[in-house]
Amino acid sequence: MNNHQKGAKASYIALIVFVFIWMWGSSGLHRFTKETFAEFQAPALQIVSKGGDLARYWELKSRSNEELIAASRDLARINAALELRIHSMDDIRRENARLRENARYTGNSEFLTVVARVISRDSSSWWQKIIIRKGRTDGIRPGSPVVFSNRVIGRVSAVHLNVSEVDLVTSPTFRCTAFLIGDEKRRIVYVSGDAANSLSPSKAKVTAIPVDYNPPTGQPIKVLTTGLGGVFPSGLILGEVDGSIRMGTDNNYKVADLNPAKDLNMIEEVSVLVPQYPTAHEILLAPSEKIKLEEFK
Amino acid sequence: MSVLWTWFFLILATYPWLFVADLVSSTLASSGLNYFITGAALIAPCRRLKRWQAVLFAGCVGFMFEAYRPIPNGTVAISLVTLAILLGNYRSYLRTNLGMIQAAVVVNAVAAIIWFTASAYLCEAPTDIYNSIYQGAIQGTLSGLMGLVIIMPLATTQNWIMDLMGVPSAQDLL
Repeated sequence: MNNHQKGAKASYIALIVFVFIWMWGSSGLHRFTKETFAEFQAPALQIVSKGGDLARYWELKSRSNEELIAASRDLARINAALELRIHSMDDIRRENARLRENARYTGNSEFLTVVARVISRDSSSWWQKIIIRKGRTDGIRPGSPVVFSNRVIGRVSAVHLNVSEVDLVTSPTFRCTAFLIGDEKRRIVYVSGDAANSLSPSKAKVTAIPVDYNPPTGQPIKVLTTGLGGVFPSGLILGEVDGSIRMGTDNNYKVADLNPAKDLNMIEEVSVLVPQYPTAHEILLAPSEKIKLEEFK
Repeated sequence: MSVLWTWFFLILATYPWLFVADLVSSTLASSGLNYFITGAALIAPCRRLKRWQAVLFAGCVGFMFEAYRPIPNGTVAISLVTLAILLGNYRSYLRTNLGMIQAAVVVNAVAAIIWFTASAYLCEAPTDIYNSIYQGAIQGTLSGLMGLVIIMPLATTQNWIMDLMGVPSAQDLL
């Protein structure tokens, strides 16, 4: 056996040993490698994204004064309309607080909003994700809902130091309960991402639609979040039912395709709703912190 | 600079290419395809570097691909390391231009199919098996083509770094 063959044999033995160590190694080792290589790449992602923002800034700066005056006038009008709406919201908020007090409902679903730019999009048949330019240092937590206006974009799946990964509504790992517009009984349906086909738009699917559900005629069927489970606030738009509602394979429920509420491949900015208080999921995953558990009870 | 660190400087030189491939995938995300060149990045280092250096390089490149993607930890890295060891057994053929191009196409397509299958396993999406094979075939074919297109410019960059570090050229090693 020459040196070359000896070297090859040694390499295979080393590889087998490494695979065994890797398979039975602690999850901490796996997390460490993933986090290290993610952080190594984060600055490049940030630079490209900030470069894009800078190019946009110079493009806007090159516009004429007339254009800027017209834009600021339009914004002033929009601001005035929004101020009126905020006043009406104050009344609703006070009424809501009074009703909560009467009903002794202590569940708190308040969120902090963190606005984040989209750095990159990544999609394949098995995942649809975006990477956003806010991370652990900005208070983002895994599982936080991600929205654009009142439309659901997805959910934070992993958080790094300065960037986070978001699973989109169309990703097969996304799951959520929902209501269908036009269902007076407000029965719960189930929304999940669907494994996409290459070269075709990705979609989600709505399952567990009751057999006797009659869609409203002449208007799109919107799908709204229920607020159950405490992840998404209620009433956010998940999307619209695409095409017809058909019978499922088990003949117990109907199913339909769901078009996301926003074009997920074009979105440039999102809002992350970070819960102000620990979620049930976070409390249950940290059993050592008894105080939090008591708080949750 | 010590030749021992060539694998590390090669990673720094290769990363911009991998990053540009990620940006292309991001820009064309609506196609649902990943413009994968990670497998092709192994070829030039496997022609000239020592086996352990090529293995280290392959592992790092694999972990970099996995960092932001939902793939079972280490799958791509271990697959690329295995491919790097296998390539080490065919060095004399790999040192010809034709061998290098063929290896780029095959290794890139094989690595792409491995990540596609691994992520399908993690995703647990109940889909039609024939459709999954069809999707995998599209991704594998695209990756083979990417390997064919990218190998020359990528290998030129990597060779330039290896020349700077004083690694003997492929012709000298023939």
